[in-house]
Amino acid sequence: MSAARGGFTLVETLIALVLSSLVIILVSSTFLVQNRYQANQVLRAGVHDNARAATDLLARELRSSMRAGILVAGPRTLTVRSPVAVATVCGQSGAFFTNIDVHIDGGVSRMATEEIAGVAVLDESTGAWDYERATWSFVDGGSTGSAARCAGNGADTLNAYGSFHSIRRLIFLYGLDIPDVGELVMLFRETTFRIDDSDLEPGVLALFREPYGRDPVEFASGIDTTALFRYRLGGTTYQDTVDAGSVGAIDAVRLVLDARMRSQNLPGAEVTFGLSTNLPLVNAP
Amino acid sequence: MTGLSGRVVPRPMAVGVQQMDGSRGGFVLALVVLMLFAISIMGGAGYLIVSSEARMARYATQGEEALAIARGGLQRFVSEQLGVVADSMRYAIGAGETLVTARRMSALDPFTDVYFIRSDAAIVDPLVPGTPARRVVGAYAHHRRRPVPLHAAVVLSVEDFLVGNNSTVSGIDIGGAVCPGGVAPPIGGAIARDDIDRTGTLLGSPEEQYWSGGYSEFMTRMGLRWDVLSDPGFPVDFEDVQPDFSTLPADSFPVVRINGSLNGTSPWSGRGVLIVRDQFDANPSFTWEGIVLAGWVDDRIMGNIDGMLIGGFSGTEPYDEVETRNGDIRYHSCNVRRANESLSYLQLIPNTLFEVR
Repeated sequence: MSAARGGFTLVETLIALVLSSLVIILVSSTFLVQNRYQANQVLRAGVHDNARAATDLLARELRSSMRAGILVAGPRTLTVRSPVAVATVCGQSGAFFTNIDVHIDGGVSRMATEEIAGVAVLDESTGAWDYERATWSFVDGGSTGSAARCAGNGADTLNAYGSFHSIRRLIFLYGLDIPDVGELVMLFRETTFRIDDSDLEPGVLALFREPYGRDPVEFASGIDTTALFRYRLGGTTYQDTVDAGSVGAIDAVRLVLDARMRSQNLPGAEVTFGLSTNLPLVNAP
Repeated sequence: MTGLSGRVVPRPMAVGVQQMDGSRGGFVLALVVLMLFAISIMGGAGYLIVSSEARMARYATQGEEALAIARGGLQRFVSEQLGVVADSMRYAIGAGETLVTARRMSALDPFTDVYFIRSDAAIVDPLVPGTPARRVVGAYAHHRRRPVPLHAAVVLSVEDFLVGNNSTVSGIDIGGAVCPGGVAPPIGGAIARDDIDRTGTLLGSPEEQYWSGGYSEFMTRMGLRWDVLSDPGFPVDFEDVQPDFSTLPADSFPVVRINGSLNGTSPWSGRGVLIVRDQFDANPSFTWEGIVLAGWVDDRIMGNIDGMLIGGFSGTEPYDEVETRNGDIRYHSCNVRRANESLSYLQLIPNTLFEVR
């Protein structure tokens, strides 16, 4: 024991240093590999996240768009009208019955009224919606008496009294051709999706969502320059641009993009995720 | 103390090393532990990121599936409704479940209502049961409460029709005296393709009409989805069995479907809507209150029908001439209205399907 307490020789110390260096190198390299792997996974997750964000929101608004709901169909710009709410007219009021009562599922409080860009009326004989722009504050007629008037026309108002609402000032939009009881109206949003230079990540593109009359919002960054929208008009082939006269025939939109992301920590590390997703329009002709 | 060579190593050389005694080996161990700790932290963080990404991806996939379930449930509800519209139905489809509700919105006319159909679908992930993927869709539908149009008491796609001996075919309402709505306006007596003769009694307004366009005109004017009504997969009240009317409420007008031919004898008598996919052959003892729809009719129709008889939906008409004999077919507005309501159905209004937020 006393000899051991005496200390190490130089050779022992050197051997210990070599061995410990080997262990440190081994562990360090494991650490570095793990670090690179983790950074890579974070990159992949980010890229997938961007791609999913780009498709999810687009899909929700596109799928619900009504027939002929696409206004602009370009390779980098897509403007679509989609319903905030669809309702049937169940009552009328006001002078010359220019106000209509409708049932809005869940009530107005659950509706994104700030996104409303206008009112549309369905022509059931042709299946076409007649769109007119108007803000919600312009057409909001309150809810006083709506449920009672609708009940008078056969509506089931049980447990849904607060879901009936009045829409006013339609005479300014449709003249005297006010929709009658039983006809269908839509409160619609008008959204432009644009693929443009990212504000958040210089050097890459991003998908912007621009509600009508409001500023664009970047909601999916890290998109490569090859990204574009493509359109199908009833057949099997897609095209990059559809002229205004033919947009009503679009029955599916394809989003083609490469989501790309560079690592902040690992120089030169970059992950690309290619995506091509078809979004059929449920109300397509 | 001796070195590796066996030589005596002077004490002073060992002093420095001896001073490290308390931490010898511990430095490396501490470093390794620190490294391993850092690796495990980074690994854990990486795992969390990747697993949460995987979970989000799964949630997005489930959301898409929930949307498909919601749409499927809505379509199924609309297609299965026959007669009175159910307030709600719950369907298990795929990995999820959807609750479909119907709410009457307005009356378009005396025979058509507008309904709002809402389908609320959810897929519960066992790993995170508190936050199911949920999508809701809505659409509007017409409830057609008089699907069988009132063209005539007898409508046949055959070329010639004979109102034979001891037989009456009448489009004059015989039920008006007991019906809540009173006497209904008369309808046509009989419709065939080329010729209608009579040795019996033929009444109506008009008494006779000709649809020279044959089967295609017949189907267009009737406007009934025979392919759906005659499909064994389409649910009806009674199928290939004779209803026991003594156990049914007096005001019930069930839908009875025969997936083949029917030789109508007394036990088959009853009320409601009788759908015969192939040949309908009625004997003198047969009576029916309501509507009879048949793929085609035998060349000799007997028995009594207080309502309407429409034959020729299958498009295969084996007889050039059909004759009524020893029996009456008379328009009964009350029976026809009730039978029609049993056959009423929902029809989605195109271009109204939307996602409810």
